[in-house]
Amino acid sequence: MTMRDVYVIGIGITSFTRLEFPLSEIAAYPAMMAMKDAGTREIDHLYVANMGGGRVNHQTGLASAVVDTLSLTPAGAETIENGPASGGSAVKTGYMAVASGLHDVVMVTGAERMREVNNLDATDFVATLTHPIAEHIYGVTLPSLAAMFTRLYMEKYGVTERHLAMVAVKNQNAALLNEFAHLHQKISIEGILDSPEAMTNNPYVAEPLRFFDCCPVSDGGACVILASEEAAGKVGRPLVKLAGVGQATDTHAVHEREDPTDLLAVRRAAAMAFERAGLTPADVDVAELHDAFTILEIVESEECGFFPKGEGHLALERGETALGGKLPINVSGGLKGRGHPVGATGLAQVYEIVHQLRGEAGERQVKDARIGFTCNFGGFGNNVVCLAFTREN
Amino acid sequence: MPRDIYAYKCRKCGHVHYPYRMVCKNCGENEHNEFEPVPLPKEGTLLTFTTLYSLPPDFEVPSLGLAIVALTNGITVTGQHRIDEPETGMAIRGEVEIVRRDGYDEHYGMVFYKA
Repeated sequence: MTMRDVYVIGIGITSFTRLEFPLSEIAAYPAMMAMKDAGTREIDHLYVANMGGGRVNHQTGLASAVVDTLSLTPAGAETIENGPASGGSAVKTGYMAVASGLHDVVMVTGAERMREVNNLDATDFVATLTHPIAEHIYGVTLPSLAAMFTRLYMEKYGVTERHLAMVAVKNQNAALLNEFAHLHQKISIEGILDSPEAMTNNPYVAEPLRFFDCCPVSDGGACVILASEEAAGKVGRPLVKLAGVGQATDTHAVHEREDPTDLLAVRRAAAMAFERAGLTPADVDVAELHDAFTILEIVESEECGFFPKGEGHLALERGETALGGKLPINVSGGLKGRGHPVGATGLAQVYEIVHQLRGEAGERQVKDARIGFTCNFGGFGNNVVCLAFTREN
Repeated sequence: MPRDIYAYKCRKCGHVHYPYRMVCKNCGENEHNEFEPVPLPKEGTLLTFTTLYSLPPDFEVPSLGLAIVALTNGITVTGQHRIDEPETGMAIRGEVEIVRRDGYDEHYGMVFYKA
């Protein structure tokens, strides 16, 4: 069976912050923006990415609420839950729908409203994705899994707390140029690591990870509209192709991994996306990686193939991953600066890449960006979706 | 009676799993429940650890030690640790204790101490 090419014809996003709106409206607002951007309301099908509506917001069947809020009934609609990779999974599902010929134009919107509960409850909600018997009963949270992983990485590859702080500073300060980002607070290595006040400003959350190594808990939504070549041709926007999708899984319990410093699902998902797109990591001009914790940006930059294993932190030191460097990573601020409304994150990554490849990113524009890449990391690396994008005209 | 945490040994190929899964990861034997429960050993070495200061709401303590340990039979497990100055590679012993109280439910799990 031949697959059709798939293009992104519209994008939209909300501010990532605390939003006092119903979850369905947080999903619908960026969808309205995306339809305006694409200049069409002819949508064949909706996919809505969300992780916690049922548990946190008492809203199940979210897609039915969203499709009606947008007055797009009777178009088909479904909710896609794949933990923090829900957004990437929903884009991949939309891709399959268009590539297969089942639909010509699909909307993929993602939303999360986590600030309806306090920070501890929000962290505990995300922790429900851990293994119930082998991890969750012990009080294991995502920050604690990331912390134990970080300690191993530090011992094996010489990553230090300073490298982690460098990622935090790079991404949080990048968010100053993103009007939709959650954190608009300039930070420095001095303030979060070197000064006598650093332990107060930046205490340990899960040793060796500190407060500024962790992404904030955010509300927010983001949307993309995918279309076939014929449908995309009717839209007068710069043409961005979703050129390759990849997804891979790993053991549910983190302790079962053969080499605990590997993120095999990232490596496999990235390789699959590159292969399907006919690209290599060296081709990429701009990437959005899933930096829920600072260590993850460093390790994903290696597992995606941008840098050799164990050398991501050296590339960071050389400034290669900053705006103006060889491969700018997370110029949107990443999860760290833009925020992490879990179900919306994968879509926010795609939003940024399309924005960049269209050349519309203003002050944070990566010069001549034509090839972009996203890595959406679910669980603690047990379900990962990678996507590759190319600018076509 | 002392409590135990069990690993699951495939009755066909002998591969030991922890935690339980319904199909053997090694031989793919597709028969339901064809595993023999084997108690986890109580000795091992510390692979990695953390002290968590931001705890789930039902833990009424200021901080919590968490660890991943390689047991003497090669099985790795996650658990809580109560070690003052933990170091990776140190020898530990495990006890099965209450690790979480969730409403009226008491959950038993592995707690690691310095050997």
